[in-house]
Amino acid sequence: MLKPRAVAIVLALLSTALLPGQGAAAPDQTQRAARWNELQTAIFGARTVQAADGLIAMETPDRALDAAYVPITLTMPQKDKVAAVYLFVDDNPSPYAAHFTFGPAADPSQIRLKVRVDSYTDIHAVVETKDGALHQTSRYVKASGGCSAPAGVTPEEASKGMGEMSLKLPAAIRTSAPVEGVLTIRHPNFNGMQMDQATRGYTPARFIREVKVSSGGQSIFTLNADISLSSDPVISFRFMPQNAPIEVSALDSQDGRWARSFVTAPAGR
Amino acid sequence: MNRFSQIVVGLSLLLALSGPASAGPAAEPAGFWTGPMRGQTPASLAGANVIDAKALAALIASDRPLLIDVAAEEAKPAGMAPDALWLPIHRSVPGSVWMPGAGDGALTPPQDALLTAQVDALTAGAKAKPVVVFCHRDCWASWNAAKRLVRQGYLRVYWFPDGVEGWQDAYEAGVIKQDPEWAARPR
Repeated sequence: MLKPRAVAIVLALLSTALLPGQGAAAPDQTQRAARWNELQTAIFGARTVQAADGLIAMETPDRALDAAYVPITLTMPQKDKVAAVYLFVDDNPSPYAAHFTFGPAADPSQIRLKVRVDSYTDIHAVVETKDGALHQTSRYVKASGGCSAPAGVTPEEASKGMGEMSLKLPAAIRTSAPVEGVLTIRHPNFNGMQMDQATRGYTPARFIREVKVSSGGQSIFTLNADISLSSDPVISFRFMPQNAPIEVSALDSQDGRWARSFVTAPAGR
Repeated sequence: MNRFSQIVVGLSLLLALSGPASAGPAAEPAGFWTGPMRGQTPASLAGANVIDAKALAALIASDRPLLIDVAAEEAKPAGMAPDALWLPIHRSVPGSVWMPGAGDGALTPPQDALLTAQVDALTAGAKAKPVVVFCHRDCWASWNAAKRLVRQGYLRVYWFPDGVEGWQDAYEAGVIKQDPEWAARPR
């Protein structure tokens, strides 16, 4: 009675061993490392990108619910050393997703944003310190189809209110402590890879390429972005209150320009 | 509940279950599909076997089939800055031959001839050689290309509708380049 079962177990083990890629994850790792090397060279040239060394950490879901909106949290615990942070979605055709350059009014300890992910990929975050060193961390994310996912509504519908902004701030702000703001910019961020199901043509690319946030003449951050940012970008950032309004300006790839000033409600001190 | 309302409830249930066409898989068109490539595909393909990732892995292990990936290549979107980083990469079932566009509903005669010649060469003329065709989920290209092979008399055509995504869910995908001869096809 035991024999057929034993045979079955052996067969199952054998078939597992024969399945392509299983166990031997090495070829894929090699290819992913090669891809990252390619990107690193394209962006940073000969500069060395070191290990995280406690300067950068990243949170992502292992498997994204919606590949067109994959949430990313970047944490830079040694914030006083941070000058900028880069985000790459390795396997996207346009892997360069975001580059935040922090100004004197920033508290660069945490950034949150959402990106599109085209296929199962490594995501790399690279922090640039004030002394010019680069440190990276990476996460593997299971999500696919985020780049070609249609907007769900017509391009005209998706473009309504383009450039409208909102900024969520705490009710009362004390000038002595860093504050988190959540900036939302209404923009379809068409990446040029989404097919309009009605016309069967691709909706032309139109995406946010630069966002500047400052307060009292002091920069908080400048974001340079590409087509991998999700539509209606939502960016969480931290800053040191300047007792002045927050100024936000955005520029898109078709020279659309929008600006808004947000008055903060100071609680004194 | 009286008998009349039972019948009404029963009928409306039936209607709800048989539902609008969009709720279930599309019916098989008689010819090639020339509508939007992205959309719900049929559950079947006359003359071909429909397989999932697990069955494909078993088939690869046992029969070493020819694997044809007809997923579209990504073209640099108009409107991107000329110096923007554009580095498309394609991951697929390892060992596949990538022929993007080969699943178009309306191939030009030269493209049709090239596809025929390529598959003939890759199978060494053996119509009994198993051939697996796929692209992405909810993509008609693989359905069309598999149908074309059925029509050309291939006896063991497998359509893998879950495509690259279905494969990646369970197994490792590898980077592949476009088949060089297909890449030089007349456009």
